[in-house]
Amino acid sequence: MTRAEIEREVRAWIAEGVDAPADDARFERLALALFRLQVECGAAYRRWCAALGRDPATVKSWREIPAVPTGAFKEARLAIFPPSATIRTFRTSGSTTELRGALELDDLSLYDASLEATFGAFICPERRRLRFLVLAPSADQAPDSSLSYMFSRAAAVMGTPDSEFLVDAHGWDPERAIAVLRGARQAVVLAGTAFAFVHLLDRLAERGESLALPAGTRVMETGGFKGRARELSREQLHGGIAERLGVPRARIVNQYGMCELASQFYEPSLRTGVASDVKFVPPWVRTRVVDPVTQADVPVGAGGVLAHFDLANVGSVLAVLTSDQGECAAGGFRVFGRLRGAEARGCSLAADALLGGP
Amino acid sequence: MRELVELAGARAALDPERVIRALAETFERWRAAESPERTRLAREHGVYSRPVVERGVRLALAGWTGESLAALRARELSDPCWVPPVTAVWLAGSIPTAAFSALALPLLAGSAVYAKPASADPVSARLFAASLSETDPGVGAALRIGSDSKALDDADAVVAHGSDATIALLRARVGPSRPFIGYGHKLSLAVIGPAIDPLVAARRLALDVALWDGRGCLSPAWALAIDSPRGRAAEFARALASALEELEDELPRGALEPGEASDLVELRARAAVREGTRLEMAAGASTWTVALEAGDVRPPAGLFRFLSVVPVPDLESLATFCAPLAPHLSCLGHAGLAGERGRLATLAAAAGASRLCPLGRMQIPPLEWNHDGLPPLRALVRWLDVEGQE
Repeated sequence: MTRAEIEREVRAWIAEGVDAPADDARFERLALALFRLQVECGAAYRRWCAALGRDPATVKSWREIPAVPTGAFKEARLAIFPPSATIRTFRTSGSTTELRGALELDDLSLYDASLEATFGAFICPERRRLRFLVLAPSADQAPDSSLSYMFSRAAAVMGTPDSEFLVDAHGWDPERAIAVLRGARQAVVLAGTAFAFVHLLDRLAERGESLALPAGTRVMETGGFKGRARELSREQLHGGIAERLGVPRARIVNQYGMCELASQFYEPSLRTGVASDVKFVPPWVRTRVVDPVTQADVPVGAGGVLAHFDLANVGSVLAVLTSDQGECAAGGFRVFGRLRGAEARGCSLAADALLGGP
Repeated sequence: MRELVELAGARAALDPERVIRALAETFERWRAAESPERTRLAREHGVYSRPVVERGVRLALAGWTGESLAALRARELSDPCWVPPVTAVWLAGSIPTAAFSALALPLLAGSAVYAKPASADPVSARLFAASLSETDPGVGAALRIGSDSKALDDADAVVAHGSDATIALLRARVGPSRPFIGYGHKLSLAVIGPAIDPLVAARRLALDVALWDGRGCLSPAWALAIDSPRGRAAEFARALASALEELEDELPRGALEPGEASDLVELRARAAVREGTRLEMAAGASTWTVALEAGDVRPPAGLFRFLSVVPVPDLESLATFCAPLAPHLSCLGHAGLAGERGRLATLAAAAGASRLCPLGRMQIPPLEWNHDGLPPLRALVRWLDVEGQE
């Protein structure tokens, strides 16, 4: 299959929505075709596959497709098209001294299609425009942030014209954010990074104030903390949002995503009306939970490392191995947090950050 | 803190000759052919395979004799000085012999020791303390293993091992009024010159990599191979892969924690996707990896028996490679540079290294090693310079 043929089929599947059948045969066929294309056109990925002794001739199932650790995105360009064709580059977060992973895209249509299908289904299922209030910079302010792109795209497609980004390149003013939220008279989509919510809740707590956002409001929080704020568990964060912002727990949704993937994963709480910590896997994506040592699937109920296989990742690699621990759950997976790294049991220094990388 | 008061009292037993005798006999017990202490440590340690613990301890302690202890003390503590009655020693990492020397040196200086074992290795310090008590209960009473952080506030001096962040925190806690020695995280590297058979150099380096599984600050994080004549670095990398494969039976690598396994997969993937890097890996296993780089680059530091071989045109390239490592460089192992040892020493010192040794001996630091550039005993005490006459 050519790239265009694969993209056409994946786009058609995404257009069927998140409730389309998770057709295993369909996924297998497309994943193997995409794997072949990515090995043929992606020199860096081809080298990784060769190191593992795997190629399209020997890989017979999507489960055998070699997943690329997210760290490899720091090291090499994993795109399957020439650099001159790149129209957007998303980078992982990190300090200026750290190497940052990068995902290059030459076409945003599949990215947008997946984003809109899942964001719409899990955050705006009523299919009517809502006012977005975003605790993150816009894509204009942070052009290499996939998160900002996602918020901007969702606000453009599903938001009302008075939607606002309450953070800019210079930071944000929590007092203004509180004033904007206090002035909301109709249901809003309040979306942002977890650490921005922590700052907001802390400021409200300092003032001894709680808001009662209008009925129908929904909250979407995403991203980790990475030392940006005091760290809260999901339960603590959602509890704080419910208490300080007056949004019921079942209307607070955590989204799990990463710069290296075109598709994102949402908790279905808002759709079902029941708070849930399971991340829903869209039909065009598969997630394996693997043993970090053997890379084999862990038994049902056991924890492991998450590996995602995303058919919307046409222009780079469809199989991405994370450092996130999780477990399989009905309809998706749960995330427990990051694996504890190599610094734990030695005295040698392993941090790239310190050295600034190669 | 009651334990520190008891330790201060036990310090009376730390007569230099008695301490030297007790430590020497204890080290002798640990390096004996059928040492029950070593066997027990190998069984209980958990991070390393038994053969690695057995061999690593035996090799490291080979030179830690009564003579070397006496010579070290005579060399460093001949002048009048103040010895802290009790030193708190905060251990880090998982290498048993690093813990042994960290405990033994203050005792040799005449200070009682309150030691907190590393979370990654709760066994080594306790077993060492137990064997010292069996050898000489009086000297053994001057070494207490515990985990009460109040010792940091009450001890007369503090020696801490750990990450730079940990050291900074502890230094701030101890304050300026008491002696504080901090050993932060370090890394080391190997340099291979043209004047050696690549197979011989590879076998020596493989031992340095295999002992402690590349986890130690003395473990080579990279191997710089002078690529003259061209292709020699590649030949060396192939030989190293073979040597590591051969060693796997004799000195198997220990099991990795999930996060460590994940880090290793990432190291491998990063090497594989780098253009021009040639990767050799244990077949179907994660036990060793050799990455031959295409040019004079600095890839991520190796761990867990993953090692990048970086071809360099000449010895001078070492300075460029090491420049950003300066605050963190510990040991430089070398082979095939016999005629250039002086130049190598100059370069190593300028690069911040505190130890230069032949390949195959990187994991065998002598007791008198100036760890991170600090004299092993003199750094532990406070000196009084007495000048002139009235």
